[in-house]
Amino acid sequence: MTGVCGCCGALRPRYKRLVDNIFPEDPEDGLVKANMEKLTFYALSAPEKLDRIGAYLSERLSRDVARHRYGYVCIAMEALDQLLMACHCQSINLFVESFLKMVRKLLEADKPDLQILGTNSFVKFANIEEDTPSYHRSYDFFVSRFSEMCHSSYEDPDVRTKIRMAGIKGLQGVVRKTVNDELQANIWDPQHMDKIVPSLLFNLQQGEGTESRSPSPLQASEKEKESPAELTERCFRELLGRAAYGNIKNAVNPVLMHLDNHSLWEGKSFAVRCFKIIMYSIQSQHSHLVIQQLLGHLDANSKNSATVRAGIVEVLLEAAAIASSGSVGPTVLEVFNTLLRQLRLSVDYELTGSYDSCGNLGSKVIKEHEERQLQEAVIKTIGSFANTLPTYQRSEVMLFIMGKIPVPGMHPALASAKSGFDCSRMIQVMLLKSLLQVATGFQTTNMLTALPSSFLDPLLSLTLMEDAEIRLLVLEILVSLIDRHDNQPKFSSISIISDISVLKLKVDKCSRQDNLFMKKHAQQLYRHIYLACKEENSARPHFETLYTLLALISMELANEEVVVDLIRLALAMQDLALSNEEMLPVYNRCAVHALSAAYLNLICQLTTVPSFCQHVHEVIETRQKEVPFMLPEGVFTESPSIPKSLDKLEGHLLFLQSKITEVLGGSGYNTDRLATPYIPQFTDEDRLSKRKSIGETISLQVEVESRNSPEKEERTPAEEITFETLKNAIVDSIGMEEQERERRRQVVEKFQKAPFEEIAAHCGARASSLQSKLNQIFEITIRPPPSPSGTITAGYGQMQSRSVPVYEMKFPTCACTRAGGGGERDGTRWPSPAPQPLRSAGGRAGETAPPLPPPPPPRAPSDEAELTLSLHPHCDKPSGSPSDPARHPKVTRTRH
Amino acid sequence: MSMEDYDHLFKIVLIGNAGVGKTCLVRRFTQGLFPPGQGATIGVDFMIKTVEINGEKVKLQIWDTAGQERFRSITQSYYRSANALILTYDITCEDSFRCLPEWLREIEQYANSKVVTVLVGNKIDLTEKREVLRERAEEFAEAQSMLYLETSAKESDNVEKLFLDLACKLIREAKQNSLVNSVSSPMPGEGKTISYLNCCS
Repeated sequence: MTGVCGCCGALRPRYKRLVDNIFPEDPEDGLVKANMEKLTFYALSAPEKLDRIGAYLSERLSRDVARHRYGYVCIAMEALDQLLMACHCQSINLFVESFLKMVRKLLEADKPDLQILGTNSFVKFANIEEDTPSYHRSYDFFVSRFSEMCHSSYEDPDVRTKIRMAGIKGLQGVVRKTVNDELQANIWDPQHMDKIVPSLLFNLQQGEGTESRSPSPLQASEKEKESPAELTERCFRELLGRAAYGNIKNAVNPVLMHLDNHSLWEGKSFAVRCFKIIMYSIQSQHSHLVIQQLLGHLDANSKNSATVRAGIVEVLLEAAAIASSGSVGPTVLEVFNTLLRQLRLSVDYELTGSYDSCGNLGSKVIKEHEERQLQEAVIKTIGSFANTLPTYQRSEVMLFIMGKIPVPGMHPALASAKSGFDCSRMIQVMLLKSLLQVATGFQTTNMLTALPSSFLDPLLSLTLMEDAEIRLLVLEILVSLIDRHDNQPKFSSISIISDISVLKLKVDKCSRQDNLFMKKHAQQLYRHIYLACKEENSARPHFETLYTLLALISMELANEEVVVDLIRLALAMQDLALSNEEMLPVYNRCAVHALSAAYLNLICQLTTVPSFCQHVHEVIETRQKEVPFMLPEGVFTESPSIPKSLDKLEGHLLFLQSKITEVLGGSGYNTDRLATPYIPQFTDEDRLSKRKSIGETISLQVEVESRNSPEKEERTPAEEITFETLKNAIVDSIGMEEQERERRRQVVEKFQKAPFEEIAAHCGARASSLQSKLNQIFEITIRPPPSPSGTITAGYGQMQSRSVPVYEMKFPTCACTRAGGGGERDGTRWPSPAPQPLRSAGGRAGETAPPLPPPPPPRAPSDEAELTLSLHPHCDKPSGSPSDPARHPKVTRTRH
Repeated sequence: MSMEDYDHLFKIVLIGNAGVGKTCLVRRFTQGLFPPGQGATIGVDFMIKTVEINGEKVKLQIWDTAGQERFRSITQSYYRSANALILTYDITCEDSFRCLPEWLREIEQYANSKVVTVLVGNKIDLTEKREVLRERAEEFAEAQSMLYLETSAKESDNVEKLFLDLACKLIREAKQNSLVNSVSSPMPGEGKTISYLNCCS
């Protein structure tokens, strides 16, 4: 054919001649520059001929490729590139078709050089911004082929790298070319993204492996040469940066798939790197979409191994940190809900040891420590998300988490089995840890709105748990909620500080809202601090945290009244340690003494009343000399030297209420108030709370055995209301009471006199109903009555065999949470509740009462029935609560 | 002189378990060689071969996919635009045969509904190690309405036939398709008979 061209060259159209002329005799000579200029000039002056020029060039190129005349192929390509560059945007369109065909042709060749040549031309083309859309261009082949090149497995590593880089560049080109042109093939379609993204990730991942070994001195000179991984990263970033709202999903999905398929979650680092790139590259307003997808993926992997889930959570953590504000997007609670669900699932898996709730498909072994790691990661992630939220949303989230905490008594089903107890306990711990994460760094100007009763009440009720870990967590949460000036670290360890100015405390004036908050919740806080001191299993961290809490309350929320109350509280704690009605171990008593001393030392300096300071200082000095174990330095050490018993304590070793009242009165503090010893009070919240406060049962038990003993009233003269009046307030008929007593007497008699067999038979027949009655009683029985004899409680104790979760004793099910306030188990001067609230509480209970026997007609609501029930455990009324009968640890204790 | 150097273009994708000989089949067909120590394919591989059938030039774009599970997501994205799938198994490996239903599910899920599928039992040179009987495979192929062929990339048995038969079938289908809707343009991704731009010269 060339021969033909030779002889009839003159007859050929001009464009053909011009094209032919750019090719030299010998391909080694390269493009004939002068002729190329002529061709360019011609093309520019007659753009309508461009399509024919293109077609002819392409035809020649195809021929040359087929004949392996690669020199000419290169020349044709160079000419095409130059024409492309020289042409105006408008006219390119005519030419592109044949241009792309040539590139395709080159890419189809199996010579790496030709592939790279084609790619380079394509990239040049891609960088031209066209302003006329084209409707019929298809880049399918290019996406497929470039993706394939990204995976090249050519034998020669250098060539392989070149091909792969060409592939990446080509993909970049396709993206650039199509991304802004809505009329063209939508590059964001899954069919393209599923090729592009994995190809990029594959190269990114390949880079990870080689990077570690590549930086040898020899290669340092080639530094200007970009590695495929770097190029990939750039390309990936560009791709993501161009993604619009609707496209994020299609771009991120293949990433998730790729990480799944190559099991890259477990190694974490690559997954984290990918998502760091994603988060930094996408437009920040879209970042919540990525978070949502990750969360969705986490849910989809619920049944996958813990390491995979932990990897996803880890990625979430990093992503959330990058996305910062707005990462959570519009569905704040959904995010936390998902995380909490995962936490819960993990706890379930850990406890059941299987991913399947039925337990029959336990093919995968669950590794406990992996689940633990996952849980830690989830908790950390919750904290990280919370950090991005504004204050108001944070308190919302705290409320949300609080709502998820299984409050004992509210979920009777959970408590039915031992594992159920473990489960709910673990979930409590996990959720409290999450809450702590959210609370850390939480700073609000308005405590009142940030911490509503609906949040504080359940939180504080958890401080009454016997579980030391849970209690400590709650205390820590309180500390971080109250601390708003980062004073917490200054009080993290408990000690006597001779001069608090060294702490450089930051104090703001107590705001009106703070005062209101304290007015509303102070008593509650004091009460829980006081009760926390009484817990037997409190250890050093508890006392330290209590100290921090007290100190922070004084720093953040103290007005004059609060200071007075806090001093009273400290003195009451001293009394508590002194009187030892709780039979606390000596260590605890010393610790309480030390806590009280450390705190008084702090607050006296805060009040800056010199004589107060002097008194405190004197006592502390004496203690240092005589009883160092009553100071924090003595108690809270590695090996404290605690005496065997803690009896005769001289007056000069103690902080004297009278003395303090005197000195503070001089400085204008409310001495009347100060002179009254602190008594934990019940607030409205306590009475109305669905959860029962500890005192309530006492009123019942007092009735059982110590009704006639007047000591109680004598000891607390303020409490004029005896049980009689109390009961009368509810039960307006004495007759009924008498009747009950009679019935009870009969039963006791029967059990005392009847032969064993008969009792056994009788009991056997009613075993189930007795059991359920017992349940109810022990749900009500929070603590034994303060009776010195303890006969009744001992009697109950013998009937119990199995144990009930601790919290159930403390927080009986709602079935028995009626009967308003009441005294505390130890009878330490708790004010008896007024009858009026009792009634209201009863009314409330009536609404929510579970099936109970109908109360005797015109009487006050179901409290009454319950009272009756508890007094007659053996009567065969139907019972509402299914939980186990229990032995109350406290019961045994009092018996000794 | 035609602008295009072919009359038909078909995309053929090879799928099947890892190590059944997909790459070797393609190499044998396109390059006429049998690479002894062929490593596992990474992601996808691409080959092109133009054949002449009844005077028509047919360009076969062959996408050879990795059998490894970890590349599954990218290989799946290639099924979509395929005109034909060559589902390969190893007659000496029962496992690769047992996985076929799984592959069929994948095809159903990802591939074009009009795709032509051929079942290929490879490695018939290893007769003494055969684990999957011919009858069984034929039965299976028939039940799934697939073509069935046994090949040996090593001995070059039936390899040529496989691709040529497939090309014939594809041409027939393409023609039928263009007869049925002669006016409408071929579906995107379908083998389209490219014969436009005959205007030059």
